[in-house]
Amino acid sequence: MDDQFQEDWLDTRLREEAPYIDDAGFTAKVIQQLPVRRARSFRAAIIFCITVLGSAITYSVSDGGKFMIAAVNRLASMPILFVCLIAICCGLVMTAIATGAALSKVRERTLG
Amino acid sequence: MSLTDADLVARVLLNDDHHAFAELVRRHQSSVRGLLRQLTRTDVALADDLGQETFLRAYKNIRSFRGEARFSTWLYRIAYNCFREEARKRKELVGIDEPQLEAEPDPQSVDPALKHDLMHALQLLPLHERSAILLCCQNGLSHNEAARVLDIPLGTVKTNVLRGREKLKKLLAAWGSN
Repeated sequence: MDDQFQEDWLDTRLREEAPYIDDAGFTAKVIQQLPVRRARSFRAAIIFCITVLGSAITYSVSDGGKFMIAAVNRLASMPILFVCLIAICCGLVMTAIATGAALSKVRERTLG
Repeated sequence: MSLTDADLVARVLLNDDHHAFAELVRRHQSSVRGLLRQLTRTDVALADDLGQETFLRAYKNIRSFRGEARFSTWLYRIAYNCFREEARKRKELVGIDEPQLEAEPDPQSVDPALKHDLMHALQLLPLHERSAILLCCQNGLSHNEAARVLDIPLGTVKTNVLRGREKLKKLLAAWGSN
């Protein structure tokens, strides 16, 4: 009983004696140092423009995308087992990348 | 009607609202700087530098705040990490030696003005006990929350709080009897 009373008394004193620290320009200093973030819309516009430009260049250089037709024809002439193998390999690579990305996100989030 | 911490965090996330973040800093600066001052043994300049670093890191990583813990608890964790990194750099992580603390405090060595001063007694505790006492007893965190902030097992937090309390009582009783 006495121990409990002493603990409560100690906790109360610890809370009461913690001085309030006046801001005195602290917040202003922090805000001054905040990094400026680029607007998300600006970033999205850059990515969109680069994508359109890249597609246009590829289309014109590849003679109207004829390489795609050639690639599909080549794939169609391959044995079915080989095509399945390629599809499975692609699936495994994508799963590994997605797992890695998810794990890094979890590690990053453990802070909050 | 004043906004909650969660509302302000949402504003920072959605609109990169510096005013909302400034309000969060204003609300929590005293407790964060107070904690850092106690951890650094009242090195005010260092504590304030670490305080600024704490809020800058909070701003940069605000997307990782999921709202499961209180915003203040999340800030304490960042502050404690900042302090540990700085202490590792300076190799000052270890607090006062155990034998030094176990020894009877010399009444002559204690400034009379500081007798009965709980804050002064707190600084005589080793770092692991001081940080547990500061978080649980002074800042009102639960043992679970303190364990998350300090990144140590729950049982260790409870032991550190218990031992810290005992030592504080002993110190205050010794000073009181003089």
